[in-house]
This record gives sequence, structure tokens and C-alpha cells, in this order.
Amino acid sequence: MNDNTAIRVENLSKSFGDGDSFIEVIKDASFTINRGELVALIAPSGGGKTTLLMMIGCVEEPVSGQIWIGNEKVFDNKWLTKETRKIRREKIGFIFQAHYLIPFLNIINNLLLLPQANKTDKKTAKAKARELLKYFDIADKEKAMPSQLSGGQNQRVAIARALINDPRIILADEPTAALDMQRSVDVVKILKKIALEQEVAIVMVTHDERMLPYCDRIMKIEDKAIIFK
Amino acid sequence: MIHLAKEDVKHILGKFIVTAMGVGMLLGIVLIMMGVYRGMIVDAEVLLKDLNADLWIVQQGTLGPFAEASRVHEDLQYTIQSLQGIDKTCAITFQNIQLPKKNGKVRVFAVGYDVYGDINPVNPARLVQGRTLTTDHYEIVVTDKTGFSLHDKIKLGRNTYTVVGITHGSVSSGGDLLVYISLKDAQELQFSYSNKRIQTDRARGIINKDTHMVNAIIAKVKSGYSVAKIAGNIRKWYHKNVYTRKQQRTVLTRYVVEKASKQIGMFTAILIIVATIIISLIIYTMTLEKMKEISIMKLIGLPNIMIVRMIVEETLLLGILAFIFGNIFSHIIYSKFPKRVVLEIPDAWMLFGVVIAASILASFVGVKKVINADPASAIGG
Repeated sequence: MNDNTAIRVENLSKSFGDGDSFIEVIKDASFTINRGELVALIAPSGGGKTTLLMMIGCVEEPVSGQIWIGNEKVFDNKWLTKETRKIRREKIGFIFQAHYLIPFLNIINNLLLLPQANKTDKKTAKAKARELLKYFDIADKEKAMPSQLSGGQNQRVAIARALINDPRIILADEPTAALDMQRSVDVVKILKKIALEQEVAIVMVTHDERMLPYCDRIMKIEDKAIIFK
Repeated sequence: MIHLAKEDVKHILGKFIVTAMGVGMLLGIVLIMMGVYRGMIVDAEVLLKDLNADLWIVQQGTLGPFAEASRVHEDLQYTIQSLQGIDKTCAITFQNIQLPKKNGKVRVFAVGYDVYGDINPVNPARLVQGRTLTTDHYEIVVTDKTGFSLHDKIKLGRNTYTVVGITHGSVSSGGDLLVYISLKDAQELQFSYSNKRIQTDRARGIINKDTHMVNAIIAKVKSGYSVAKIAGNIRKWYHKNVYTRKQQRTVLTRYVVEKASKQIGMFTAILIIVATIIISLIIYTMTLEKMKEISIMKLIGLPNIMIVRMIVEETLLLGILAFIFGNIFSHIIYSKFPKRVVLEIPDAWMLFGVVIAASILASFVGVKKVINADPASAIGG
């Protein structure tokens, strides 16, 4: 493993239920994703995309295997820390189908929530938030409420939120599902750009094959196994 | 520093205030209930304080006229007066009567006293118009809430009475409006029957109806004498029950007001429980409405303490706002109640403590929901 590794997974398995209701979703999955990569994750519905995303994101506990986030081993047949939420807060950014901004916080406060939880210096956090808003061309909207912004603008704020704590990984769960073609392409281009510029590994779940050409690699879940295209 | 509770409340300010007002009205009723109880205690003592008697001599084996029927002979006052250490005495009657008015009747509590005696039950501080009684017959002093004016004529029994004085704030231990009449008039109203009744009684062999009865003799003790010792002597030699001022107060609060106060206490406790349940339900609903956001907050890594703090602070804010609205509401409506309502600051502080405790208790339902929220539910739509 080198310094460029963002995610490393070895022999990861996940199943649900037992007896007649036993379902194995992922079996012995092993892969590495490097910083600066935009990886598309595809699979049929119910194929385990979200489950895999949640396991990498330290939300869902795998049955067995190992997971590294950067150089830190976080799972070895069990979580190696009780504070998986701290790992998420410090090392992982999330982007969802919808923007899922906190509706009662204005744009800048939506961005400042995580730095506050991480006890980051307020001035530094604010400067970083403003820099991100400027980067996404929504600097003039910092006092606006999410309800006052368009869908595309809100999705850009959501991406900015995912970047606020300089994460090693961004996990994006169908970030273009609610957008039209042009906006979808814009968002994926932005993700590609930030993957390179911020040296972040981005795993993007998508159903839209038109987005695949913009990705560096395509990871497909087929018969419980991971195949790279 | 982002204050999640403050920002959320700002976002739903109108709804939050209306909710707090609703709960506040409930708390206002709790305050009114407490005020009704305090009012009963104050009312119970008005007459006791106005009479300012050291001793109450009543029928043997009874608790006295405030608690049950008591009859003693009127001339007992002269016997009591002759005892060493007694300064003043007065024979006194109490009875509920209905004063006829144009649009119905007013229930009042009539105090009958010896106009020429040593003790005048009409507290001069309460007399706002006219004068006290000066003759033995057909004069009446009424309290202002009866609606009568000075010089009004009131037909009672066979006779017509003239209003000669108006008092303010005079009520009986039961909260009925007080009027004052002479002892002779009171005895006539209480013990004299119609001609037809007298004829019937005679036919039944009932004769010599003694109308020279009173309900109690009150006495004041000269300074330097022991009230308890004199009371003991009367009990021993004259076979009467005697109550000191303190004992009479106990009779009123323990035997007369106690059940009513328990009743009010029960209502108050139930209302507080209902308010707690309502606050819990509101917080639960408010938390449910935010479950998606809470799951997202948990998923992106916010610690539970930040989210729990938001729920607890919102609940406390709701409780405090409801308490303020409750106070405003109770102060607006308390004077509209027919009986005395006394709103006391210590009661309000006590309710404040209960509201804070109830709010913390109520927030548990929301907190439990937060702790159990699955961050994974934020993913996948």
C-alpha cells in the first residue's frame, strides 16, 4: 500500500439474515482505489451498490474482511474503533441522490456544521467554506436557505459540504439521479475536477451509463464479486 | 458556533410559537387552579380575620358554624363576658340566604350580630360606601359584588331592608358574598316561621319555639390573660366546645377547604401530566419530522451529543415559552372568575420547576428516537 491509496478492501463479505432468509450480497471483494480517481460503481437494482458504499463509509458492518481508509486499517473482521462516526466525520465525505442539506441552516452553516463537530478553528473553517462556495460559483448565496436555491445549486453546496473537512474519500450515492442530463454532466465533471485537484478518491454509484465515460474506472458488482472494467 | 436548536426554531418560528401558546394555555389553567386554591384559603380567612376573635364558643361536640350546625343560647355571651380575663363578647349567627334581585336571586352568607354589642364584624377597612348598622331592624350592609347600591330596598322574609353600607372583598369561608344584618333580624330569618307553619307546629304539639339561639359566641381576651387557659375553663365548666383563633383557622383549612383543595390538587396534577404528555408528543412529532436530517447528520459524522442537545434545548425552550404564555394567559383571565383567584409568585416558580422537569422528561422520547436513528437510512433515497 502506498501513500496514494485512498481505499483498500480485502476479502470483504456481507450477508443478511440466516436460514431460509440468508442472502449473500458481497463475497470476498478485494480492490484498491487511489486518490484522484473517480470510480463509478454500477450494479443491477438490489445488487449491493449501496451496501458496499455503506461498508466503505463505515456505516454498515461487513461480515468479514479488512478495510483501510488511507493508511489506517479500520476494519479487520470487526471495527477497530468504536468511533466509526469520527472516521466518517474526518476522512469521508458523502453526497446523496438529493442534496439533503439541513433545511433550517443557511448555506454557510450547512458547510460549517462538520468543522464545528471536529472542533476546527472557526475562522479557518469559515475561510475554507467561503473558498469552496467560490470554487462552486455560489459565493453570493452563503446566507441563503437551501429552499431559496435551485436543485443544481443545492447539489453543488452538498458537494462543497462533502469537501469541507478535506476528506480522503467521497462516497456519492447517485448524485445525478435527480438532475437533468446537462446538470448531471456538469456535476460529474465537477466531481472529476475535484478528484484531481483535491486528490480525493470518489466512488460514485450511478445508474446512468451516459456518465460512465467521465469516470476513470468502472467498478461493477456481478454475482457478488467486484469486477473492474 | 452554530446553534442547531436556535436555527431550527427560527425556521419554524410561527408553528413553534403557536404550539407554545397552546401548551401555555394549558399551563395557564394549571396556574388558575392553583390560584383558585389560594383564593379559597384567603376567602376562608376573610371573616375570621375581620371578626378577629380570640375565642369561638360553639355547641358541644361540634366543630363550629363554619364546619357544621352549631347552636348555643344567646345569653351565653353574658356568662362568658363575666369570666375573668374576657374583654368583649358577641353573639353571632351565620346563614345562607338568597337576596331577591330583578333578574333572579343572589346567594349570600349573612352574618347576624348585636348592633349595640362590643364587637362589630364589619371591617371598617372594607366599608367603601355608607355606614355600618346602627339600628336593630331592617338595615343591611352588603358587599359590592352583590350588585346592590346604597339605599336599595331588599325584601327578606316578611320585611324590607335598606342597604346602608357597601363593603368590598367580603366573602364567607365558602366564597359566598357576605352581608351583615342585626342579630334580631337574623334570628327572625333563621328561627321564625310563617303563621301557617306555627299553626301546623301547634297542631303537632310543637310549642315554645326558642328563637333566642345563635350559632356561636365570639370573645376577645384581655391582654395578659392566657387564651388557652380561659378556653379550658369554658370547656370544663360550661360544656361547650371552644376554639382559639388558630384552632378555628385549622378547622377551616382542614375540614372545610381540605377536600376542595385535594380536588383542585388532583386536577392540577392531572393537568401537569397531560401537559407533559402533550409536550412529549409535540417533541416526538417534531423529531419525526426531522428524522431524515437527523439520519444525514449521523451519517456525515455529527456526534449524538450535538443532535440530542438540539432536541433537549428545543423542548426546554418550548416549556419556557409555554410557561411565559401560561402566565400571561392566567393573568388576563383570572379576574373573570366568579370566585377569588390568587396568583402567587412562589406557585408560578413551583410550576416553572415542574415544567422544566416535565420538559426534560418529555425530551427523552425525542432523544431516544435520535439515538436509535439509523444513519444508513439516509442513503438510497
